[in-house]
Amino acid sequence: MNLPRYVLRRLLLGIVQVVAAMVAIFFLTDALPGDAAVTTAGDNPDPAVIALLREQLRLDEPAWQRLGSWMSGVLHGDLGESLVGPSPVTEVIGAAIGPTLLLAALTVALLVPVSVLLGMLAANREGSRTDRLITSSTLGLYSAPEFSTAILLVALFAVQLGWFPPTAVGSESLLSNPALLVLPVFVLLLRPVCSLSRLVRAGMVDALRSDYVRHARRLGLRPTRVQVAHALPNAIAPAVQQLARTLDWLLGGVIVVEYVFAVPGLGTTLVEAVSARDLPVVQGLALVFATTTVLINLAADVAARAFAPASEVGR
Amino acid sequence: MSRYAIPGALVGVPVLLALLGPFVASEDTTKDVAFLVGQGHWLGTDFVGRDVWNEVLLGGRSLVLIAVLATAATYLVAVPLGLVTGMTRNRWLDELLMRPLDVVLAIPSMLLLLLLASIAPNIAWILVAIVALINVPDVIRLSRAAALSVSSRPAVEAMRLQGENRLRIGCGYVARAMLRTLAADLGTRFTGAVYLVASASFLGVGVPPGTSDWAAMVDRNRAGLFLQPWAVVVPAVLIIMLSIGVNLAFDQWLRNDERARGRAAETPAPTSGRPRTEVVS
Repeated sequence: MNLPRYVLRRLLLGIVQVVAAMVAIFFLTDALPGDAAVTTAGDNPDPAVIALLREQLRLDEPAWQRLGSWMSGVLHGDLGESLVGPSPVTEVIGAAIGPTLLLAALTVALLVPVSVLLGMLAANREGSRTDRLITSSTLGLYSAPEFSTAILLVALFAVQLGWFPPTAVGSESLLSNPALLVLPVFVLLLRPVCSLSRLVRAGMVDALRSDYVRHARRLGLRPTRVQVAHALPNAIAPAVQQLARTLDWLLGGVIVVEYVFAVPGLGTTLVEAVSARDLPVVQGLALVFATTTVLINLAADVAARAFAPASEVGR
Repeated sequence: MSRYAIPGALVGVPVLLALLGPFVASEDTTKDVAFLVGQGHWLGTDFVGRDVWNEVLLGGRSLVLIAVLATAATYLVAVPLGLVTGMTRNRWLDELLMRPLDVVLAIPSMLLLLLLASIAPNIAWILVAIVALINVPDVIRLSRAAALSVSSRPAVEAMRLQGENRLRIGCGYVARAMLRTLAADLGTRFTGAVYLVASASFLGVGVPPGTSDWAAMVDRNRAGLFLQPWAVVVPAVLIIMLSIGVNLAFDQWLRNDERARGRAAETPAPTSGRPRTEVVS
C-alpha cells in the first residue's frame, strides 16, 4: 500500500473513531446520576421548577433525538449552551483552551531536547555510574503519580522556600507571571521525559554498537558528527511514535496538573463540569479530547510509516 | 538478594502500613482542632481535626487492594478474549471483538475514568471495575498478538492436524507459551493501576466523604499546606514510594529472569500511555 492510500485509510478510520467516541461519550454523560435540571434548580428544588427546566433543557425528549440534534449541531460548529453559565459551550472551551495549549506547548518544546540529551548521555557512558543513575531514576519516576510529585514540589519550593507561587489563583494570565509556569511544566515533563529518554538510550546503545557507526568512526569522522548525524536519527525512530503517545496522554494527564495548580484550563473546566453535571460542556470537552487523540495517533502512524518504510510487513 | 534491598524497602513500608495499619489504628476518632502541629498528635491533625497518623494507618488499604483487584480483573477478562481473537481463523469474530476497542482507545484514560466514575455510585468496587475496563483493551491487544505468534508455530499446526481439541491447544499450549509476555507486562500494568486509582481518588472519585484514603488526604488537606504540611506530605511520599518501588522490583525480577535464561540483560523501556501491539494487516 502506498503512502497516500494509507493516509486516506487511516483518515477514514479516524473519522469512524471520532463518531463512535461521540456516541459513546453522549450515552456515558447521559447516564450521569442526578440530571442537570435537579442540579440547576438549586438546593431547595421545587418540582414545578424542575419540570420547567427539564422542558427548557429538552431533557424530556428521547435520548437518540437529543444525540441527533447534538451531532448535527457539532457539524455546524455549535456545541450547545452551558447549563451553569449563560454562555455557549464553544465560548467556555475557547476561554479555557489558552492555558492548556500554553502548558502543552512548553512541555513538548522542552520534552524533546531534554530526553534526547539524557538518553544520549546515558548511552555514551553505558554501564557507568551516570548511566545507572539516569536509568534507575527514569524507571522509578516514570510511575510516580503527578499529583503527589506536584504536591511535594509545592510543599518544598512554594511553601518552604517561597521560590514559586503555589497555585495560579489570583493572577490574570499565566504569561503575566512566568514563575507560575515552572512547577506545572516541570511536573508535566517528568513522566514523558522518563519514558522517552529510556527509548532514546536504548536506540543509541544499539546504534553505537552497529557496524555503520564503527565504520564512520574508522573513517575518522568527528565524534559529534557520528553521534548526531549518524547514530541519533536511527536511534530516534522508535521514539517518534512514543512521542505521539506521550502527547495524547499529556492532554489527558494535564487534568490532574491543572487541578493541582488551579490553572484555568480545559482540565479544570472538565473536572468542574463533571461535578456540576454541566452535560453540554462535558460532551464538548470530551469531543475535543477524543478528536485530538485520534489526530495525534494518526499523525504518529503516518510519520512512523514515512520514517521507516521497512515496517510495511504484510502489504 | 541485595539487588532487591532498595525496591523491597520502597514497596515494603507502604504495603505493610496499608495492610497492617487498620489493625493497629486506634478506635478513638475524637476530633481535635483542625491543622494542629504536635500537641499530643505525632503528625498533627487534618482538616477536620482527625489524628493524621491514625488516618495514615487507615488510608492505604483501599489503594493497594483496589489496584491489586483491578489488575487481576483485567487479566481475567482480557486474556481469554485475546486468546480467542488470536487463535480464531474466523476473521469476522476477530474484527467484531477488536474494532470496538479502537473506540475506547480514542478516549484518553483519565477522561474515561472521570466520565465513568461520575455515572457510577461512589463505591470502591466500582473503581475496580472502571480501572479494569480502562486496561482491558491494552491487555486484549497484547495477548492477541502473543497468541497470534504462538499459534502459528509448527507445534500448534501439528496438534491441529492431529485433531487435538481446540480448547486443549488453547489452554494447554498457547496460553502457557504466552505467560512470559504477560509476566513482562504485569509490572507496568500494576503500576498503571496504582497510578489510576490514586489519581482518581485525588480528583475525588470513588472515595466517599469521611473515608480515610492516602490520595484523598493529599487533596483534602491541601488547604492547610502552610499550617500543617505532614497531613499532605506523608501520604504523598507513601504513594510515590509504592509506585516507584513496584516498578523497580518488577524490573529487577525481569532482569534476573533474563539473566537466568542466559540472555542479554536488556529490559525493554516502559511504554507510556497505551502501548499498541498492532499487527500490520
